[in-house]
Amino acid sequence: MNTRQSLALAALCLLTAVALTPTKAEESFAHTCDHVNPKLVKLFGAGGFRGLQSYGTGILVSPDGYILTVNSHILNTQDLRVHMADGTHYPAKVVAIEPELDVALLKIGDNKLKVEDLPYFDVVEAAKRPPVEPGTGVLAFSNQFQIATRDEPMSVQHGVIAAYSKLYGRIGIFEATYKGDVYVVDAITNNPGAAGGALTTRKGELLGLIGKELRNELTNTWINYAIPINARITVTQADGKEATVSILDIVEKKEQYKPLTPNKKNEGPGVYTGIILVADPVERTPPYIEDVVPGSPADKAKLRPDDLIVYIDGVLVGDIHTFHEVLSRYHPNQTVKLEIQRDRKLQTVTLTLEKPKPKKPAAKK
Amino acid sequence: MIPLSPKHLCWLFVVLLPVLSAHGEDLDPRIRKMEEERIRVIQAVQPSVVAVLTGGGSGVLISEDGYALTNFHVTEAARGPVMKCGLPDGNVYDAVLVGLDKVGDVALIKLLPKKPGDTFPFAKLGDSDKLQAGDWSLAMGNPFLLANDFTPTVTYGLVSGVHRYQYPEGTLLEYTDCIQIDTSINPGNSGGPLFNMQGELIGINGRGSFEKRGRVNSGVGYAISINQIKNFLPQLKAGLDTDHASLGFRLETDDEEGGLAKLIVKQIISSDAMRRGVDVDDQLVSFAGHRLRSVNQFKNLLGLYPKGWRLPIVYRRVNDKKQIETHETLVRLMGVQRQELPQPGQPPPGPGPRPGPGPRPRSGEAPLPDSPARKLYKPKDGFANYYFNELEQERLLKAFHKHGDFGKATGDWILRTTGTLYAGVGSRGKRVVADFTIRSKGARDRQNPLVQGIVDGLDYSLEPLSDEEKPATRRDPPDSGGLLMALYQYRQLLVYGAKGFVTSFSHGGVEPFYPPSEDQTKPDYAKRRVDAEVLRTRHAGVDGKWYFSKNNDETAGQLLGFEIWLDPDEDPCEVYLADYKDVGGGRLPHRLEIRFGDKVYANLVVNAWKKEESK
Repeated sequence: MNTRQSLALAALCLLTAVALTPTKAEESFAHTCDHVNPKLVKLFGAGGFRGLQSYGTGILVSPDGYILTVNSHILNTQDLRVHMADGTHYPAKVVAIEPELDVALLKIGDNKLKVEDLPYFDVVEAAKRPPVEPGTGVLAFSNQFQIATRDEPMSVQHGVIAAYSKLYGRIGIFEATYKGDVYVVDAITNNPGAAGGALTTRKGELLGLIGKELRNELTNTWINYAIPINARITVTQADGKEATVSILDIVEKKEQYKPLTPNKKNEGPGVYTGIILVADPVERTPPYIEDVVPGSPADKAKLRPDDLIVYIDGVLVGDIHTFHEVLSRYHPNQTVKLEIQRDRKLQTVTLTLEKPKPKKPAAKK
Repeated sequence: MIPLSPKHLCWLFVVLLPVLSAHGEDLDPRIRKMEEERIRVIQAVQPSVVAVLTGGGSGVLISEDGYALTNFHVTEAARGPVMKCGLPDGNVYDAVLVGLDKVGDVALIKLLPKKPGDTFPFAKLGDSDKLQAGDWSLAMGNPFLLANDFTPTVTYGLVSGVHRYQYPEGTLLEYTDCIQIDTSINPGNSGGPLFNMQGELIGINGRGSFEKRGRVNSGVGYAISINQIKNFLPQLKAGLDTDHASLGFRLETDDEEGGLAKLIVKQIISSDAMRRGVDVDDQLVSFAGHRLRSVNQFKNLLGLYPKGWRLPIVYRRVNDKKQIETHETLVRLMGVQRQELPQPGQPPPGPGPRPGPGPRPRSGEAPLPDSPARKLYKPKDGFANYYFNELEQERLLKAFHKHGDFGKATGDWILRTTGTLYAGVGSRGKRVVADFTIRSKGARDRQNPLVQGIVDGLDYSLEPLSDEEKPATRRDPPDSGGLLMALYQYRQLLVYGAKGFVTSFSHGGVEPFYPPSEDQTKPDYAKRRVDAEVLRTRHAGVDGKWYFSKNNDETAGQLLGFEIWLDPDEDPCEVYLADYKDVGGGRLPHRLEIRFGDKVYANLVVNAWKKEESK
């Protein structure tokens, strides 16, 4: 038999093998789900007021309880909680935040409480894999809409990588922090609470972290994307030098990780109202006006000391922290409707926001 | 909502066509085989998918005689019990509402055949407990009311989660133990079927997490699991307006860092659970055979069962001596709807976001249209459609009468027994003689009946229809829970059937029943449980619940036991019947176990049944 014949025979054998392989009508991903789910955690933290959910998702990246997630407002709390796949729950703390990649590393437990032998994603291995091509089938795992608590498994969705591209997104009126490459998916994965979930291949291999709820800057449509696990971007440091940051770096350095650029805190350009609020000594000080800067938007709107700000455009602002949080979503030149309580009566005033002054007014921290 | 105009659709085809033509030639044969298989499944199930035209939703046929499932919120939007439905054969059919599960958002309707005897294509019910996150599924229905010829739209996607709990959205409408899917669900899909890839019906699509994306698919849809619906189906077929269940206490999670949740009873109201000994601070360990891990899981389990079912619970407490006591008992589930009805003057709660018809004015029902389905509708309080309850009563009584027709024995009845009495004599019991007589006109007025009993030499008598009897007399003999009254009611059923119960008589669907076990030490409720058809009665101021065998054998329709409630807030007198033997005119039980509360009152062996015709 010559080479050509044997090759032909081999090809024939291969064809027959293909034809004879029993085709299971529809392959279930139940096995993949069982495999992936224990490596994900449900996060519960800050939020809960209008428009901001208090829950999110994270992935375990070590057997002793380090968690990778997307940096978001839910981490701004002393009382961050983690629900594991087996139903146990733990406190957690933020170990490091990488502002350019918009990711955070958390650690379960404290000095007394230690965890070990947890199932986890090997980020080193995952980061070695080249990006997958558009058209690749993927699965998305997250605790979107807080559907699961305790031992209830994550939601799983299926989709296809639609593009591997730069992200141009915004949250509300903010520009998105992360501007590197992302996987764009054709499934509706980026729902409330999904950020920090896992995008995997259909075999459950980690591809990326599901991102936030963003709209495309150009079309104003929702984008469903994930930050690739091998994401690395070049940043310019304060001294003008360029450096590279990557997810792998933060996962490897853990507590030793020092971000190269200041935390962007996901803020908008900032606005100026001329409102000076009372001092904020306790955690939930109501936003009473202490003083109003003459000639400022607040002055023009005839706001007065002792007015209590109750709503900003219909959003209840119960304390000074929330007041700043809500106001930080606005742009200069936007008008905003404040509902204030003056002499036990609710009144509505309209304020036109201005650009922040070079020197920050006293009330702004 | 973005309207999908024909112009848009044309563009879609232009884009898709090159893809379609390329696809025929060099596709991996395995993928083609998978696709063919999928098409085969879709074609097989498609004829069973219903377009509910009045109400603007979907449904699915589940029997050849035209019973179909849909959402309650679809039938509610139909504004009346008579509706029109389209099938993929292109025809419009008349249909009528049969049964409702408002809390679970399920309705059973019946399509009328074009000619008597014509049968319908129908979907086979699957087992939704076998479903796993990651399995593929097919949703079919009528989203955006696209199909003019009633050919359903099919969408294909993953099961994203199973055993999901979704809080009620301002209403009682609660989705417990539901199936979460990323299969596209949109307005108009409501009430339509979710199939597994074997083409079995595994759920009824009904709700989505929409929030900020408008009222269209956001990758998260919910279907009511078919296994939950199976528990309610016999009640729905009996035309009932069913209710879901509560246990009468509130649970809170109590746990330590790193530990698993314990569910602790906080607040308990007067309920069967309380009578069974459950108290504040007890830990609920298991319910209906499932070990409890979270409040959501408990709510999921509770949502599976109709009000009135009796199910086992295990609870645990630390007693005064610091010992852990574990108790296992059966608990009767109470309802959820009655105490939560809107107060007068308050507007009814609005519907939550769900993929159904849009808001509608909540004016009363429209007048019944002129439809042949009108003949199949009979309104009655507490029923979705009493016509179907009467059908079920007739069917059950027919099976019951095969075991004996005592319609002529309207005279006195005498029951002579010997057995073991436990009440008041300790756990070992005492051998006694117990005789009972029901005199048809034995009362002082010579018109009404009198029941007499001699138990262990003590005489008791009761005029069941007299207003003057003391409450204690109505419960005689002591600690039986009202055995004299129970025997009177039993004779009413045997002699008069439905006519023996003046206030009410209805079919109650199917409920679990637990015949006594030989070994009293081990409850083993799961093994003892049999599912029985239920009749509910009210007569002489007492409620009765009668359990009939639904075995597919010669015992079908035989009375297994009954419960008589002197007061709905107390324990009933439970009578368990066994050892059926021929007496004149039919078969009657020759072994009776009478229970009250947590205790056996007596075990009696019948020596003779004597029954007379009227003189």
